[in-house]
Amino acid sequence: MQFKKFICLGLVLVGTLHLEAASYEKLGEKKLFNGETVQEYKFPNGLKVLMVARSQAPVLTYQTWFDVGSLNEKLDKKLNKTGLAHLFEHMMFRGTPQYPDGKFDEITSRLGSDKQNATTYYYRTNYYESVPAYQLEKIMELEADRMANLHIDAELLEKEKGAVVGELRRALDNPNRLAWDELMRLMYAESPYRYTVLGTEEEIKGFTQEEADYFYKTFYAPNNCTLIVVGDTKEEILLPLVEKFYGKMKTQEIPKLEFKNEPAQTQEKRWEGKHPQATSEVMLIGYRVPSVTDPDAIPLSLLSSHLSQGMEARLRKSLVDKGIAVGASAGVSSRPDLFEFSVALSEKHTAEEALKVIDREIALLHQSQISKPAFERALNQELLNLYGSISDNNSLANLFGEYLMLSGNHMRGLEILEGYKKLNPSDLQKAAKKYFRKENRSVVIVRPVKKGKVS
Amino acid sequence: MKRLLLVTVGVLFFSIWALAEEPRLIHEEDPSALISDIQVIVKTGAVEEPLNKTGITNIFSELMLRGTKKYDRQKFQSNLEKLGATLGVSVYHDRIVFSGRVIKENTFEFMKLLEEALLYPKFLETEFNSLKVEIINEIAHVKNSNNRLGGLAIRQELFKGTPLEKPVVGTLSTVRTIQLNDVVRSYNNALHRANLLFAIASPFKDSQWKVILKDIWKKLPDGAQRARRVFEPKVPTEPTLIVIHKPKTSTGVLTFAQRGITAQDQERYTLGVGNFSFGGEPLVSRLFRTIRGELGWTYAINSGYGSMGGLSYQPGLYTIVSTPSVEFTAKTLFKTLSSWQDYLRKGLKKDEIVLAQESLVNSYPFEFESSEKRLGHKVYSELYGVPTLSQEEYKKIIDNIGNKEIRKSLKDKQTEKGWLITLVADKDMVEKLLAEEQKGIPTEQQLKISKVINPSDLVE
Repeated sequence: MQFKKFICLGLVLVGTLHLEAASYEKLGEKKLFNGETVQEYKFPNGLKVLMVARSQAPVLTYQTWFDVGSLNEKLDKKLNKTGLAHLFEHMMFRGTPQYPDGKFDEITSRLGSDKQNATTYYYRTNYYESVPAYQLEKIMELEADRMANLHIDAELLEKEKGAVVGELRRALDNPNRLAWDELMRLMYAESPYRYTVLGTEEEIKGFTQEEADYFYKTFYAPNNCTLIVVGDTKEEILLPLVEKFYGKMKTQEIPKLEFKNEPAQTQEKRWEGKHPQATSEVMLIGYRVPSVTDPDAIPLSLLSSHLSQGMEARLRKSLVDKGIAVGASAGVSSRPDLFEFSVALSEKHTAEEALKVIDREIALLHQSQISKPAFERALNQELLNLYGSISDNNSLANLFGEYLMLSGNHMRGLEILEGYKKLNPSDLQKAAKKYFRKENRSVVIVRPVKKGKVS
Repeated sequence: MKRLLLVTVGVLFFSIWALAEEPRLIHEEDPSALISDIQVIVKTGAVEEPLNKTGITNIFSELMLRGTKKYDRQKFQSNLEKLGATLGVSVYHDRIVFSGRVIKENTFEFMKLLEEALLYPKFLETEFNSLKVEIINEIAHVKNSNNRLGGLAIRQELFKGTPLEKPVVGTLSTVRTIQLNDVVRSYNNALHRANLLFAIASPFKDSQWKVILKDIWKKLPDGAQRARRVFEPKVPTEPTLIVIHKPKTSTGVLTFAQRGITAQDQERYTLGVGNFSFGGEPLVSRLFRTIRGELGWTYAINSGYGSMGGLSYQPGLYTIVSTPSVEFTAKTLFKTLSSWQDYLRKGLKKDEIVLAQESLVNSYPFEFESSEKRLGHKVYSELYGVPTLSQEEYKKIIDNIGNKEIRKSLKDKQTEKGWLITLVADKDMVEKLLAEEQKGIPTEQQLKISKVINPSDLVE
């Protein structure tokens, strides 16, 4: 049930005369499986806050999610590049006038921060820390400060480019990475998913202070941001602090992403290449599927569990147990929307053998429904994963953050789980028939230069 | 029955139960938990294996989950997974840990399957052969991982001729040598009462667990724990560089290793504070701030005492690992050496010590934030005879550490030059970069590549 409630923080802000900015809207309250609730609030400048209050330990996770990622930079007419969203994420640790370079890390470390880091993906960027609960005010001050007052120093930007190039090169040394990049290029002719999040070395080295400034001022706005706090806090502590540190930030106009429609796929696509560091083959298969908001996302998600979770998973039994592969998995991902099969071949076997096995398994999925015990197995494995996520502050915040950025609905992950309970084996068969078709897939194979040996 | 300890923290309880004729159980009761975490720790590991058969412990442990007298592998696994459970095993040099996780409503059904696996494994020839193929494939696959190759080379050099020379999964040649009767013998030697410890975090009561575990206990054979075997690394007296030849990499994996410390070493807290600010803590350590922050040569750099699976009775290794862009590998190597020398001679600055103290003390509550973590501490304490400190005790120890103590501990436990260094990169490129960096230094004083290893040799 959604309900709205306005709460005046006038008492807290007596003397500031910003009564309008001192109120927030309670958008809703949802129950979790364990009886806890997630509260959702919105401030007048557009900033959203999600909170789960729990007091099992005197700690909390503080996460800041921005609805911006590498897609935005490529689609932005002024930028039209890749790699800046990620480089910029690094620059968020490089100082403000109040807390110069190094101070953010130093202070958060002093606070006792745990699991502190940031990540950038196609559609979002997040920053996160876990701190003792009594450090909430300080961590919020620091996060709000760098969101509002970041100083992008040209010299520091050049230094950080070195670290980012190092990160890129480390990724490029990994054959799996090449496989993923090529899969994206193969699957997407028009959409910016075909460009990598990390960008190219040339682009990274070429970014200017002006471009970083533009990115910051355009996308790091309260109305493009959600704070997620899970742990030992409560509404009356958290929200006045949010008001204090974020309340005066101004709403900005965020450019809308305008995707070109990806042409419909009518035949199987293939790419093959070699990687000097590979000693065995890697294969990725991507089937186009709808987004996480589509009802079909639910059976597809359970299908991925059936195929790859646990020792009894179909792919493990048919590929790893037979010695063809050292690892095989399947999963649905959103933005980009695909159902991915991933196989790391053992040295003496080829991707073609694995593809035959996968085709045979898919044919079986088309022909007959999976058994009730297999269905139950997949369902309970998903339940176990979700219970694990709910118990941990950081994992729960991540679950909300990812689904919020993907679908605009932080509860979508839990809704999918509820949706599983309404499924039966025939729904999985229908989904397999609908999406696991050769003409709907792209296949990437990365081979070693010389099998079993480094080139 | 004697309850050794009962501690209450809010609504959470833990207790340790033991009597000679009863199972040793560490239980963290958390009434709000949605899942039960169940560990069975077997206090023996790969250190007991014959040198030419490394990997037996790993194989028998994995086989225990692949078929029992009552269920074949498929039935066992599908029964398990249908419950909303997972059961896996991790093998270390000094212990085997079976880790299960199950949604709470199916906990006791899960325990029946766990009992089957522990007491009645079938050790079928077909499963044995299939597992061997799987393990051999995995070992060969390590050649794809530059990070792991450096670690393998360090083990081979520093622990040559000891059971620590090879990873617990073994190498291609040792796994090929293992026969099914080796596996059954090792299982029989390992699984007995004296070796077993149960560690559980769950929403259930002690009394419920006691009934189940006693029943398992009765069916286990008696046995005695074997004497502990400790192996010292043979560290060089001068920095010694080994290159694992990998052409065309765009980054190099650079690893420094020398003797570490044991869990019981008095210096563990002092060296912990020192390492935090020298290289242990990402983002704020001296190594990170200079080699990544100032110089931009690498994405990752860190150091620590846990590279061989955490502090234990073995002294293990102290390591520094970085992944510089290939053109900066030699620069990073020499900068790391000079930073180490400076740290060893002068210790830390006052503000670095205070930073480490504040951070370590303030983040200490995270060590106990979940029942799983609290359980981990108690198990650690039980295995290695070290106390689990309260926040106050920990603060007192950390706050009393100054530079004098750090320098003394460094002098006692570490060496300035006794580094084995491995670099995974193109050997020709490394030679060229070393020469460039050492221009003007007399040839006899230059650091040279002492050995070049092919990745295939490391896994063979």
